[in-house]
Amino acid sequence: MKKILNLTALALLLLNCTSKKETEKLPILGYREVVAKEVEGQKVIDTVYHTIADFQFVNQDSVVVTNETFAGKIYIADFFFTSCRTICPIMKTQMLRVYEAIQDMPDVAILSHTIDPEYDTVALLRDFADRLGVTGNKWHFVTGEQDKIYDIAQTSYFATAMVDKTEPDGFIHSGAFLLIDKERRIRGKYDGTVEDDVNRLIKDIERLRKEYNP
Amino acid sequence: MISNLRFWKSELAVLSCCLLFFLMLSCNQSKTDNSNKFNNYFRQGEQLYAKHCSNCHQVDGTGLGRLYPPLKQSDYMNKNFERVICLMRNGIQGELVVNGVQYNQAMPGVPTLTDLETAEIATYIYNAWGNEHGLIDVKEVEQISNTCGGK
Repeated sequence: MKKILNLTALALLLLNCTSKKETEKLPILGYREVVAKEVEGQKVIDTVYHTIADFQFVNQDSVVVTNETFAGKIYIADFFFTSCRTICPIMKTQMLRVYEAIQDMPDVAILSHTIDPEYDTVALLRDFADRLGVTGNKWHFVTGEQDKIYDIAQTSYFATAMVDKTEPDGFIHSGAFLLIDKERRIRGKYDGTVEDDVNRLIKDIERLRKEYNP
Repeated sequence: MISNLRFWKSELAVLSCCLLFFLMLSCNQSKTDNSNKFNNYFRQGEQLYAKHCSNCHQVDGTGLGRLYPPLKQSDYMNKNFERVICLMRNGIQGELVVNGVQYNQAMPGVPTLTDLETAEIATYIYNAWGNEHGLIDVKEVEQISNTCGGK
């Protein structure tokens, strides 16, 4: 009897923990700075979080994509290239699951950057998106200047992307999916090659949306 | 002399009977799929498939959209057996129609695959997911490999 009671207590405790976790706010990733500034003559202490820098790329429909495209939106970012045969196909399989999960969420979008812009032209990205079954303007496949893409990958999204001729496909890059909030802050990092991690991302998207619409 | 001939005749008959028996046995073997050889090929093939192929063609062989064609229920695989054996090592480029759907994503080959490994992968993909081709022997792959040409 005692045993059963103990078990019930444990189960309740566990239940409590998980439900608490679900309602907790997602962390804000990246470095932060505490700054003192003056507001209406009063000195206030404020925390400045790491945010995604300004960018300007072109998507598969030849439309210019900037931070403004994602204004008031949550988005998921990743880095890939169409001729990649290592982790990208897995990432795209998983991102397709995210794409399906966010179909009815007007405030959520996806931003996939090619890290091989020389080969991945707009036309090729268009074809790639078509073949993947992606329509509409929810999932942007963007290309641009290589330096700019590598730079934003490393300094804004903390994702690795670089040319490496010793690699089978000539590039090394991380398979990370990054969850970005409406204030351009990173709220989650997930391994885009691991199904369980992508399940977590799909749940976190819902959690993040609830922060804006409690 | 005559008795000798008779002896040879009966010997021949026995031999050809044996041959027929073995032939039937080997035919059976490839269909019953329960021999050790088949199981070893299949299991090795499954691991090699996971390493070299499943990123694109998926673990369940269904492919991905119109990017990577399926291997599960593929008319292309049934109609182009020898080409499939060759493209594992040599890769393939350009348009490809599978089950009436057009694909056009270059597939890099895996040049380091041995004939045995190719036979193992072939045995796996031609018998997994409802496919029922039977064992694909290394000797068969060896013969086909000689006709591949190309790279």
